[in-house]
Amino acid sequence: MTELWGVLTRHLPQFASGLWVTVRVVAFSFVIAMVVGTFIAALRVQPVKWLQRIGGVYVETFRNIPLLVLLIISFAGVRRMGIDINRWVAGCGSLGLYTAAYVAEALRSGVFAVGKGQIDASLSLGFTYGETLRKIVLPQAFRTVIPPLGNLIIAMVKNSAVIGVSLIALNDLLKEARLINASTPKTNEIFFWAAVGFLLLTVPATFAVRYLERRFVIKR
Amino acid sequence: MSYLFDPENWKWVTHGNNLRFIFEHFLNNLMLAVLAMVFSLIFGLGLALLRLSKNKPISKIAGAWIDVWRNLPLIFILLYLFLNLPDSIKRTYVDAIPNFFPEVMHESFFLAAIMGLTLYNSAVIAEIMRAGIQSLERGQGEAAAALGLPYWKSMRLIILPQGLRRMVPATVSQLITLTKDTSLVSIISIQEVVNGGQIIVNTAGSPFVDPGGPKAPVLHVFIVVGAMFVVFNLALSRLSRRLEIRERTRTGVTTERITGLEDQVALQADVA
Repeated sequence: MTELWGVLTRHLPQFASGLWVTVRVVAFSFVIAMVVGTFIAALRVQPVKWLQRIGGVYVETFRNIPLLVLLIISFAGVRRMGIDINRWVAGCGSLGLYTAAYVAEALRSGVFAVGKGQIDASLSLGFTYGETLRKIVLPQAFRTVIPPLGNLIIAMVKNSAVIGVSLIALNDLLKEARLINASTPKTNEIFFWAAVGFLLLTVPATFAVRYLERRFVIKR
Repeated sequence: MSYLFDPENWKWVTHGNNLRFIFEHFLNNLMLAVLAMVFSLIFGLGLALLRLSKNKPISKIAGAWIDVWRNLPLIFILLYLFLNLPDSIKRTYVDAIPNFFPEVMHESFFLAAIMGLTLYNSAVIAEIMRAGIQSLERGQGEAAAALGLPYWKSMRLIILPQGLRRMVPATVSQLITLTKDTSLVSIISIQEVVNGGQIIVNTAGSPFVDPGGPKAPVLHVFIVVGAMFVVFNLALSRLSRRLEIRERTRTGVTTERITGLEDQVALQADVA
């Protein structure tokens, strides 16, 4: 039991820096996922057929490929091509593009969740198109989309650990735990604290999402 | 772009046994996914029943167990078991496994892989089952009790057949995640498709193993590997969408979303 606390106090800086890297990876990837995901969702709801199909191909490809394979392609594959890609760009880029497929799906369903009748009704009541979007469509779409986006952030925290063990080897929480483990063979204690680090990020997020789901979701 | 589409870089696909080698390794992934899913369903059902137990402490403990394991990264669990599974257990496993079982299963780390995948996925499946069972109208359980059925009989005859039916689409969609996740066991040195791809990259066209053969660039090899996953999972996601729509039209209910799982998000979005 004393060893448990000893490991934490001795290696606290490493654990903290690992946790901070994980948080930053998730934050950067989420920004990429939101930008790309919004773009893909826009492609899928606009009327031109072949553009819709491009969005569909993107979603089906990136959500069915393992993240590890994506990381190998974007790092080792692109390096072999002669492009000197940065570790952070490859790592966050892969995780971001991977999650973008799910973001696009969530946003698309959010837009469709607002019935077309509501838009027609609001237009016929004399709202302008901008007002309709701002006052009728977006508030409802936002409510539908918040819980799935929260879910995707939790999934991203878990997926970000893959970056640390792949070739890219950013020094995230799991990687730091392995580095400490290589110097001090106290695997149980070290992995216990790494688990606490991950759970600190994911468990509160889980409860937050559950709360938002109850609070926000419009029951139809 | 010219690098990507240069036919020289694709020659390895038709050369010798390269493609077959990768595909055979991919079958190991599928086997691992199916095995882990079978174990997860068994343990998941147990966990879900404990979670729904009337006994408060038992239900709380099962809930904490489920929440811990499904909120940890799978690769974290796999690495921990890889580094710290006691030798005695590993040796017992290697001795116990019958000879006619596939070659990958004779590695002692295969046990760590199966245990890790099962720990994570049984927690997820338990949560899916709980959502399925709780989506049933209260009246079902109450009617069974009013008819005088004891707890186990009402579970077996009334609750589970209906509740578990509702979880089938979510389970198929979890199988997609699981299939993708089997690629992670390459990190604990099990022969599966990512490892197979790396072997092809290292050996194709090398003067010692395959003299005069075409080189296999890592980009192209892993595009092929990724394509195998995409084809297989695309079929699965179509299936889960079909099942979800059928279930919704049949029962008219939307089962509760399971937090923190990307493919469940996609399933909900697909059908919406």
